Amino acid sequence: MSNFEKVGSGYSLDLTLDEAQILINLVEQLLELLGEGDFFHHYDSHNLDDPLAQLLAMPAEIVTPDDPVLLRLLPNAYADPEAASDFRRYTEPQLRGSKQRNLRLVREQLTVLVDENHGGVIEDLDADIWLKAINDLRIALSIRLEITEDSFETFELLPDEDPQKPVYAVYFWLGWLQENLLGLLL
Amino acid sequence: MVKTLAKEEVNFSELIDRPWITIVWDDPVNLMNYVTHVLIKLFGFSKEKAHELMMQVHNEGRAVVSTGTREEMERDVQRLHEHGLWATLQRDDKI
Repeated sequence: MSNFEKVGSGYSLDLTLDEAQILINLVEQLLELLGEGDFFHHYDSHNLDDPLAQLLAMPAEIVTPDDPVLLRLLPNAYADPEAASDFRRYTEPQLRGSKQRNLRLVREQLTVLVDENHGGVIEDLDADIWLKAINDLRIALSIRLEITEDSFETFELLPDEDPQKPVYAVYFWLGWLQENLLGLLL
Repeated sequence: MVKTLAKEEVNFSELIDRPWITIVWDDPVNLMNYVTHVLIKLFGFSKEKAHELMMQVHNEGRAVVSTGTREEMERDVQRLHEHGLWATLQRDDKI
């Protein structure tokens, strides 16, 4: 069973190979959704008439994401659509970049286990980055699963052959992992 | 009859400079301990204060976690979004 531990002033995580593979797959899916590489990859950059925008590579507009997972991870800061859109234009690349950096660091540490094809302990992990990355993975899964306050009962009542059952299981396992790490921090 | 306030009783700078608030909204995903942890980390609240605000989000659906200038609240909302909390800013409608 996977477990975070406090080791001296740092933290470690013990994972089986299966767990490491599940985690790295989720991390890669979310990185793909967020757009790997160039932060402006997903942005509409054809409207760069503004010389200052060209100079700073600032997109003239960043559209509000259609995908509900992206909209929850990169939410509107204002109820007013115009203010929300303006805020998004200046801040979304930074927010997206911060989430990508967390996920990449987690992926880097998981890669060691997965490449060597065995479970084991990830030493010296940054608890704060892992907390944020696990939280973003949980948020992404929760939108796909349409999680509500009653979803644990839904999960328990699902027959084992239901294709969504393992996805729910991963979602609740991530919650358990996150709670485990929080228990060491609080 | 209208009672007027003495000029000194109205804090104009408070009305002009600090009328914005950051709101954290409830969602069925973020763990209670995680929300408490983030509030302590970002705002330096005591464990008790952070727990109280987290419970307010959980029970009432929302809580005001900071008050200040628009720029300050934008920074707070951005940091909350980096941590996956659902936050917005607005003018404080109580004024």
